Amino acid sequence: MGCAASVPDKSSGRSGGLNNLENGGPPDAKNLRVKLVLLGDSGVGKSCIVLRFVRGQFDPTSKVTVGASFLSQTIALQDSTTVKFEIWDTAGQERYAALAPLYYRGAAVAVIVYDITSPESFTKAQYWVKELQKHGSPDIVMALVGNKADLQDSREVPAQDGIDYAEKNGMFFIETSAKTADNINQLFQEIAKRLPRPSVPDS
Amino acid sequence: MENTDVLLGLHDFLERMRQPSAADFVKSIKSFIVSFSNNAPDPERDSAAVQEFLANMEAAFRAHPLWAGCSEEELDSAGEGLEKYVMTKLFTRVFASLPDDVKCDEELYEKMALVQQFIRPENLDITPTFQNETSWLLAQKELQKINMYKAPRDKLLCILSCCKVINNLLFNASIASNENPPGADEFLPVLIYVTIKANPPQLHSNLLYIQRYRSQSRLVAEAAYFFTNMLSAESFISNIDAKSLSMEESEFQNNMESALALLSGLSTDMDGLSNLNDQNAGHLPREQLIDSKHQALNSKKEKEPVNRPKSSERKSGSKKVTFAEDQAPITKVPSLSELENKGATMLLKEDKASQVFQEYPYLFANVGDLTINDVEDLLNNYKQLVFKYVCLSKGLGSTSASQLSSNFHTPVVDHAETVKETEDQKIAELKDESDKDTGTNDGPKSVSVSEEGVESHLLQVEADAHQGGKNDGNSQ
Repeated sequence: MGCAASVPDKSSGRSGGLNNLENGGPPDAKNLRVKLVLLGDSGVGKSCIVLRFVRGQFDPTSKVTVGASFLSQTIALQDSTTVKFEIWDTAGQERYAALAPLYYRGAAVAVIVYDITSPESFTKAQYWVKELQKHGSPDIVMALVGNKADLQDSREVPAQDGIDYAEKNGMFFIETSAKTADNINQLFQEIAKRLPRPSVPDS
Repeated sequence: MENTDVLLGLHDFLERMRQPSAADFVKSIKSFIVSFSNNAPDPERDSAAVQEFLANMEAAFRAHPLWAGCSEEELDSAGEGLEKYVMTKLFTRVFASLPDDVKCDEELYEKMALVQQFIRPENLDITPTFQNETSWLLAQKELQKINMYKAPRDKLLCILSCCKVINNLLFNASIASNENPPGADEFLPVLIYVTIKANPPQLHSNLLYIQRYRSQSRLVAEAAYFFTNMLSAESFISNIDAKSLSMEESEFQNNMESALALLSGLSTDMDGLSNLNDQNAGHLPREQLIDSKHQALNSKKEKEPVNRPKSSERKSGSKKVTFAEDQAPITKVPSLSELENKGATMLLKEDKASQVFQEYPYLFANVGDLTINDVEDLLNNYKQLVFKYVCLSKGLGSTSASQLSSNFHTPVVDHAETVKETEDQKIAELKDESDKDTGTNDGPKSVSVSEEGVESHLLQVEADAHQGGKNDGNSQ
């Protein structure tokens, strides 16, 4: 683990206070709230990554989540800012691919996941990268994630392929294991660091 | 629970509006609502106006002495109360106000009515582990409540409750089978399946209405996510074709055609199915039902839904002429409660009304008359009744099939509806005091006292007259 502690999350979509300010109020450079969309073939472990990330700081009193398809989690960065991720999972089956724009519209971050034991899922990941380059918001932060890194014996996508592809497309790349929690927090920390910051207003 | 919060919020809001110092607020609200009667519906302009008004008013509440020292929660409820009040008043004016939207509603409704006849969970990639059609009925029921409400928030809550039920079921299934926790791969397919099976009337208009009139600062985070899922379910359903269900083109066509045949066949089979309606009192409604079913069938044939063009083509003007005819059959299919009321009225006029009920030995029995031996008999009767009711409802294409069980098994639901009733009355109250000139939005409560009396004898399980009345009011 070895990552900065997360702040317990009290969001419920209708809570008053801070978050309401962010919908029309001035941007708060210290406390970002970002929409993150997860894309990738079904079965690559998208929701497991998120659950692992959120459960690291699981707050048993917050029973507001109705499932793993939407979760939110706030992390604290070293510069004492916080980033609250609102994580939107998408259905990865081919028949639902055309619906993805409804989900990634307005997203600040896209995490594109494939399974290192499945070349098909890597091909699919490249499809999503292209789609986002064409139709996503221009300043979207994209991360390419090779999941199931614990299954080294059945690996079929060399890490170098992921690295090369990500580099070519200006993305952040990481291999994770939702099973062992390897690199999960690093993934979100890295994303948080790469977010464009609203300029701090003079005061 | 959330609902109670907002009921209190509305109550609190209305109370504050009665204070002398709120006179300016009342005036603004009133003139805002009146301003809508001067213009033809224009969703974009109307939505922007409502959003701006809600935001400005909320800001004004925040600065006003009436709310001095109040918590964020109290201000939030005031905002909710305002939204609910304003939108309940504007509902008839802005809901499904464009012919194009109404047409979309009908096409979507017809499509779901057909597809629900043959779709299987596998067609949507729902794995056996997560299949649970019986429990999904609970989720369908939540979604079907959407037309019982006028406030955007209440409609949205129906969608959120439906999603919650699905998620809970998926979660339990994943634990039971030791599978990974469910994510969107599991969730969206079930939501689509449940939506098709629930087939709530005017789904398209409901979604647009929430999108346009739910205050933007509240359609965020989790609510926004699940609402997006509902939008995406609608989009998927309206584009359903052979490929999207992994079927051969010919198989899909055949399925659509037999679904159409089945839907029309049900109305002629009804004689055999329904001993209940096979009473003197049942004749007229049944004939009407069959008539309107035939109409619906004919219009469907003309429109050839099986070969329906993609939505972009559909919007072209060529079909506009036939629009009114297309619309007629669907809106004319009498609702269950309409049929019920008609039957009740006829029964009242009948000289030998009591003879009609002689076939039902327990109808006038008292608890003391019954013995333990009657239990089996009663249970059988009950099962037959439920089966007939559900078949009839299905045949009608009605969404209220599950209301029978809702009234029977979950008193909580009844309670919630009672609460809602008083809340609607409250809205009407303020209207009477301060707003006489804008007319009423509440649907007519068509059931007279005497009819209600007969009805309760007729079918005690069918206690949804009020519900039905409300639905009718909303859908017109």
